[in-house]
Amino acid sequence: MRILRSVRHKVCADGSFMKEFLLDAPVTEGFFAYLENFGTVESLPDVGEGFYKFEKPDWFSIKGFAGDTTVEVRFKKEVMDLTVDFIYMLFSSYKGGEVDLSALKRRELAVGERVQKRLYGA
Amino acid sequence: MTVNPKPIIYFNNAATSWPKPPEVLEAVSQSLSLPVFGSGRTTGMQGEDSITLARERLSAFLGAEPPEHIVFTHNATDSLNILISGFLAGNKDGCHVLTTALDHNSVLRPLHEYEQQHRIRLNIIPFTECRVRPESVEAAIRPDTRLMVMTHGSNVLGSVQDIKTIGDILHDHGIYFVVDGAQTAGHIPIGLKDLPVDAFVFTGHKGLLGIPGTGGFYVRNPEAITPVRFGGTGTDSFSLLHPRGMPERFEIGTHNVPGLAALAAGVNFIEEKGIASIVKKAEEQTAFLIRELKEEANIMIYNEHPDLPIVAFNIRGLDNDDVGFMLARGYNIVARTGLHCAPLVHKAIDGGEGCVRLSLSWCTTDEECRIAANAIRRIAKNANSSLGQA
Repeated sequence: MRILRSVRHKVCADGSFMKEFLLDAPVTEGFFAYLENFGTVESLPDVGEGFYKFEKPDWFSIKGFAGDTTVEVRFKKEVMDLTVDFIYMLFSSYKGGEVDLSALKRRELAVGERVQKRLYGA
Repeated sequence: MTVNPKPIIYFNNAATSWPKPPEVLEAVSQSLSLPVFGSGRTTGMQGEDSITLARERLSAFLGAEPPEHIVFTHNATDSLNILISGFLAGNKDGCHVLTTALDHNSVLRPLHEYEQQHRIRLNIIPFTECRVRPESVEAAIRPDTRLMVMTHGSNVLGSVQDIKTIGDILHDHGIYFVVDGAQTAGHIPIGLKDLPVDAFVFTGHKGLLGIPGTGGFYVRNPEAITPVRFGGTGTDSFSLLHPRGMPERFEIGTHNVPGLAALAAGVNFIEEKGIASIVKKAEEQTAFLIRELKEEANIMIYNEHPDLPIVAFNIRGLDNDDVGFMLARGYNIVARTGLHCAPLVHKAIDGGEGCVRLSLSWCTTDEECRIAANAIRRIAKNANSSLGQA
């Protein structure tokens, strides 16, 4: 799955920066299950086609409906420059089925250290 | 992008009303199909004088005489800035100013800026049960109080304030009273002739069914407001000082002629439907929505008895923004979430977290209300059973 482009953006009331991304394929329940490897996922599967929300505290959140080709991503603005590339990796690494997480996990660790340092100085 | 074949169900009319009546769209198109006619600015006679017509329509509609005391601006925020800064320009020693916790940032921000510049001393009057009590206003008055700026109708709670009693109290103390009618004009009868209001602000793109970029104010005594913007008016052009006659005193540059044509058409539309029937329909639909939402124990409604077609709520366990997202993406229902530019209201009602707001217009149908109520109830039901499970 690939992010094609950002179609909308705004600064939210809580200070986060929202970008709506257009994807080359609809998101699925399986995609959000894959995201659980990197944070928490909440779902309301009986709302519309199924509402999903992924949270990676201090990094970003991803909201979307199963079957939709757009998702809303909210970045913590202070570290957005560090985390935005990881979003692209998350999407492009998912091709359905089993995903080799090793490269993503290494990247997550490296970015996580920089996020931690930027936000908390340690 | 996924093409969603469902029609848009629009419940964000307190921000900008939509759809617009066909007459309003036609007025814009008609206005742009001919050269602009403007006294002093063209010798052409082909088009209508939309500016004067709009002024007369608004004057009659608001019960605000004479028509020349209706001033056109870009929007309500623009009007409030002109009135507040113009009033304070004539009170250079600084004064005490009152506003309320129900007010929008269009009032709060200019006043806080002036407070920070030590040009005013500011008191914000709290509200109880969606309303500012006249006794609270009276209690807040000090010997140096010169100005009160307050909303007529809350954009979050839909509560209309008792500006008659408050205005009488203020006038007994010689305090200038500016009322922000952004949420009331077009939704309820106004009748400024009988109200103790010194200036009344309106916007074109909400209840008056015009298009964005239009608004204005009525000022009873223009001398009380010092003009703060200057430029071309198309009149008295030999004078290098800005004319002080009305409405030129406050109107500069070329008007938004298509916008004012739309505004006049919007007012015509409302008058044809009749404000009484608009109020009745809004009351019935709003009451229906509140009744339906109350059926779900985890829906918290913050305004069970609004005067305006506004319903403010949250669903326990769900972020208001997520609810808005679900309504938009799952059901094509456009609501508004967050703080609604009224941070002090939210501080009081939901701890500053924000809420979901549904706001209706004449164009809202009963069927749309039914679909919205069903969708919200479905989300609320699912919030109970499914939250947290992937």
